[in-house]
Amino acid sequence: MAASARRGSPLWALTISFFVLFVLAPLYWVVITSIKPSSDYLTTPPVWFPAKPTIVHYTAALFSYRGLQGLTNSLVIASAATVLSTVMGTMMAYSLARFQTGGRHLALWVISQRFLPPVAVVLPIFLLFRSWGLYDTRIGLILAYAFMTLPLSVWMMYAYFRQLPKSLEEAALVDGLSRWQAFWMVATPLAAPGVAAAAVFVFIAVWTEFFFALILTSRYAFTLPTIFRAFLGFQGMQYGEASALATVSLAPSIVLGMLVQRHLVRGLTLGALRG
Amino acid sequence: MGQAATATPFGPTSAARRRAISAWTDRHFKWLMVAPASLLILVFSIYPMLFSLWVAFVNYDFQIPGHDFVGLQNFQQVIDDPLAWSSLGVTIALSVAVVAIEFVLGLALPRPLVETNRRRGLVMSILIIPLFISPVIVGQSWALFLQRPFGPADYLLSQLFNRPVAISWIGEVPWVYVSIVLADVWQWTPFMFVILLAGLAAIPPHIYEAAELDGVGAFQTFRYVTAPQLAPVMLLAITLRLLDAVKLFDVIFMLTGGGPGTATYTTSFYLYQIGFQQFHLSIATAGSWLFLILLSVVIIALVRRLLRAEEA
Repeated sequence: MAASARRGSPLWALTISFFVLFVLAPLYWVVITSIKPSSDYLTTPPVWFPAKPTIVHYTAALFSYRGLQGLTNSLVIASAATVLSTVMGTMMAYSLARFQTGGRHLALWVISQRFLPPVAVVLPIFLLFRSWGLYDTRIGLILAYAFMTLPLSVWMMYAYFRQLPKSLEEAALVDGLSRWQAFWMVATPLAAPGVAAAAVFVFIAVWTEFFFALILTSRYAFTLPTIFRAFLGFQGMQYGEASALATVSLAPSIVLGMLVQRHLVRGLTLGALRG
Repeated sequence: MGQAATATPFGPTSAARRRAISAWTDRHFKWLMVAPASLLILVFSIYPMLFSLWVAFVNYDFQIPGHDFVGLQNFQQVIDDPLAWSSLGVTIALSVAVVAIEFVLGLALPRPLVETNRRRGLVMSILIIPLFISPVIVGQSWALFLQRPFGPADYLLSQLFNRPVAISWIGEVPWVYVSIVLADVWQWTPFMFVILLAGLAAIPPHIYEAAELDGVGAFQTFRYVTAPQLAPVMLLAITLRLLDAVKLFDVIFMLTGGGPGTATYTTSFYLYQIGFQQFHLSIATAGSWLFLILLSVVIIALVRRLLRAEEA
């Protein structure tokens, strides 16, 4: 085929190398800035690698900018929201896939939530949270994120259950198991790889989310991404702190992302493509 | 019966009851399974949306007690605001630009990756990194990278062109759009790339072999073989991406703050400013309903499309 001629073509190698550099450049700069002493910021030419690396920005970011509290909040909120969303999503997806519950309408209704502009949803949620006492609480944000990620978990698991054979569950029913037992003891273990992948995608989505957290929290339940507000309009010497915080925040989600690389296409298309 | 139940609370009656419960759960199983998720969506979407519909028609203000019905006045306020229109224009222009660039790059990059597996692992792993990074950090990183005068971008360009370059990437009008597009393309090209790669890999190779035997050129192979085969996947990737692109907020928030002036206000950023900086909650709510109505046309088309993919 035409591409076989191009397989090792230098033009393509050049293009792809350029793009790889493009991807890595800002990341490299962030990581390097986080370990630079402040005296290395304002220099021409820029310092590509500091002569004396320092971790002082990490301690400042974690303790002076309440990064530690943000980190704890992010971990607690993302974990709890992931469990909630994955459990509810798997249950719903099973019902949709096996019994066509609600015909097409229910599935359609769930996925349409994914495309609502956050600004339209978050305004009324903000007002309601204030009257429900959920504003700036971890519980509030956990529930909001579980809701936000349901389309993802439901649709990923929906696609997964549809490719699992029914026969084992039917055999279990014949053997006298209840519907719930057939789901919990037979279908779910079979779908475990799918559940794990969905959970990781949900976790990453929550971990990196900014807008909901910006609106629904302030001094107490704030997550890691919202701390970057503190560095807005900075002209001074906070590059290091901002970069240290960025590094702390991006490392876990990149590692998790690499783990589910195989499922990436399903995650990005909400199960529509298998990849 | 009642006596028996009180006499032996843990006896056969409770076993019978348990069996009855189990039979009941089995009968309503499919609805019980969808109940928790549906409830959550009802509480967090349907109820707030109904509530916001009311907010859009009253004067909702934290300072003023009571909520007077004002009819369409809130909607009128948004429609009369030139900033609402310019931010909508910026939103449309930016989303179309980024999706177009990401699509072309996403289509161009993976072609040889379909064939070669050799460098695929590492290259793939690097290329998809941006997908797992918070857009806030993407904005922050690019702000740092493009910063003037000590950021590496201006320095690298001046080395490349061998003369001093001092572009104000965030402070001047044409460049600020370039910066936003750059940050967005950086983050979301992998999205297109990954989906289109999956689509390309699914095209049966014998079609290409046939085309090669017939001596069809590279462009024509793309035009008559790849494009039609890939069309559904392309459509899916573009619509999914477009629906997220129009919500552009985080990068604006971190990189430009809407500035210089209001040059980079997007609709989401505009509504955020109205609602949460000026606290005109009713006007912002009315505006977000108008935005939602505009979007829903695209959303409905996409949801139909996704459902058809499921049926296939």
